[in-house]
Amino acid sequence: MVELSRRLNEIDCIFRLHWGRVRAEAGPFVLAAVIFPTATYIFARAVADQTTAVRAGRFLVGSVVLSLSLTSISWLGYLLLENRFTGRTKLLATSPLAPSSYLFGIVAFAAVQTALGISALLLFAGLSGVQVHLAPVPFIITVLLAMLCLCGLSVVVATRARSFSEGSLLTDTLGAGLVFFAPVYYSADILPPIVRPLAEWLPTACTARALFCAFDGRAAPLPELLALAAMAGTALALGARSLRWTED
Amino acid sequence: MLATENMLQEQEHDATETGTAVRVRDLIKRFTDGTVANDRISFDVERGEVVSILGPNGAGKTTLLRQLSTELRPTSGTVQILGRDAFAAPREVKRLMGIVPQEAGLFDSLRVGEHLALFARLKGADARQARRAACAIAAALDLEKRADKRIGTLSGGERRRVLVGLALIGAPPLLLLDEPTTGLDPESRRIVWQTIERERARGATIILSTHYMEEAERLSDRIAIICDGRLVAFGALDELNAHAVRRAAQSAPQGAPAPFLSLSAQKARDHALQRQWNRHARPSLEEIYFQLTGKPLEVDFD
Repeated sequence: MVELSRRLNEIDCIFRLHWGRVRAEAGPFVLAAVIFPTATYIFARAVADQTTAVRAGRFLVGSVVLSLSLTSISWLGYLLLENRFTGRTKLLATSPLAPSSYLFGIVAFAAVQTALGISALLLFAGLSGVQVHLAPVPFIITVLLAMLCLCGLSVVVATRARSFSEGSLLTDTLGAGLVFFAPVYYSADILPPIVRPLAEWLPTACTARALFCAFDGRAAPLPELLALAAMAGTALALGARSLRWTED
Repeated sequence: MLATENMLQEQEHDATETGTAVRVRDLIKRFTDGTVANDRISFDVERGEVVSILGPNGAGKTTLLRQLSTELRPTSGTVQILGRDAFAAPREVKRLMGIVPQEAGLFDSLRVGEHLALFARLKGADARQARRAACAIAAALDLEKRADKRIGTLSGGERRRVLVGLALIGAPPLLLLDEPTTGLDPESRRIVWQTIERERARGATIILSTHYMEEAERLSDRIAIICDGRLVAFGALDELNAHAVRRAAQSAPQGAPAPFLSLSAQKARDHALQRQWNRHARPSLEEIYFQLTGKPLEVDFD
C-alpha cells in the first residue's frame, strides 16, 4: 500500500513537471494537436470529388488519428528526447524515482494532451456540421489503446536514438508516416497489394477502423481492439525495458 | 536549517552516526571503446567527512562519481553506500544521497519554488512539507527573491544553485557533488561553499569533485588525487605533502641536493613550487599535485 501510494505520488510529480511545459507553451501545443489535423480535414474534404457522409466521417477519423499520432509520437517524443539530451532525465535519475513511474507519468501526461486535442477537434467538427453518433465507451477504449501504443513507440525511439536530431527525425517520420502510410484517410483498396496486409494492421489503421465504428454509434471490432491491445502492451514493455537509470 | 521537519520519516537519516559512509573496492570502469576511466580504485570515506576528488579534465573524476551515484555500472569492483551495496538496491541507496550531476538539466518552464517542491515530493515529502522544504532551500541558497521566477529566466549561477538545492532536499546523509562550482561567478561560488560548510556542520558526508585547488583546500578534510583514472594519493593536505616529499626523495637521483630536482623536465625547474619547496615552505596543493602526478593541473575553465 505504501509502495503504491509512493508510485502514484511519483507519477503525479512527473505529470506536473511536464504539464508546466504545456502551460507555458500553449500556442505550439494547440498548433500541433488541433490546427494541423483540422487543416488536413479541410484539405481532404476540399480535394475529394464529392463529399458524402461516409467520406466526411472518414476524414474526421483521419484527423483524430493524426492528432493522436502527433501528440503521442511527435510531440511527446520531442519532449522525451529533450529530457534525455538536455540532462533532465539525468536529474530525475538522481532522485529515488522508479523508471516505471517516469513511464506512467509520461503516459498520464500524453493522455491529458490527447484528450484536450481530440476534444477540441470534435468540437470543431460539431461546429462545422459533421454528423457524429459517438459511442463513448468504444471511442474511449480505442483512443486509450492507440495512445498507449503510440506512447510506447515514442519512448522506444526517444530512449534508443543516438542523437537528438536522429530521434527527432524518427519521431516526426513515425508520427506522420504511420498516419499517411496506413489506410486512414483513404480506403485500403487504393494501396498496392504488396503493402496492403502490413498497412492494414498498423496501429493507426486499426485505430481508424475502430473509431469509424465508434463514430457511427457501433461497438469497435474486436480483432482491431485486440490487435491494438497487443501492440500497446508490446510497445510499452519495450519502452519500459529501454528506460534505465543505470548505464552499463 | 535545510533539514525539513521529519520530512522523510521512514528513512530517519542520522547523519552524525559514525563509521564508514562510502566504501569503494577495486573499482574498474572500462568503456566499450577500451578506455579505462577508473583503474582499481579503492578508498573509504568516513561519515561526516568532506572529501574532494581532484584532477584535470578526463582524469576520471566524473566517472567515479557517476558510479558512486549508481548512474554508471562498474566493469568490476564494489561500491557500498552507508553499508548497502549500491548496485543491489539503487533506489534505496538514492534515498540516502543528494546528487549534483555535472551536466543536468532543469525543467525551464517551472518556477523555482515549484521545481524544488516537486523534487521534494519525489523524495517522499507531502505537499505541505514540500512547500516548506522549497522555501527553506531557496532561502539557504539565496534564491528567495527568485522563487517565483521561471527556471528559464535564471542566470547560469542561479541554475547551478537550484541544482545544489535539489540535492539538499531531505537533508540526506551523503552528498555527491560533481564540480558544483565550475563556471560560477564569485558570489554564487561563495554561496555554494557556505552551503557545503553548513552541510558539513550538520554532519553530512560530502564527496565533491573539483578543478579548484582553493575549493579543495578550503572545504576538504581529505583529498583524493586522480590522474589517468588511477587514485594517485588520498589523505589530508599534510599527509599528501608528506607523501609527495617521500615520493620525490625516492625518485631523486643520487647526489642531488634536494628531492625536488627529480621533477622531470626543464619546465619543472622553472616551476614556482621548486623555489617554494627549497625554501622549506609548506607547498600549496597545486605543487603537491604536480609532485604526485608529474603534471600541472591544467584546466580549461568554462
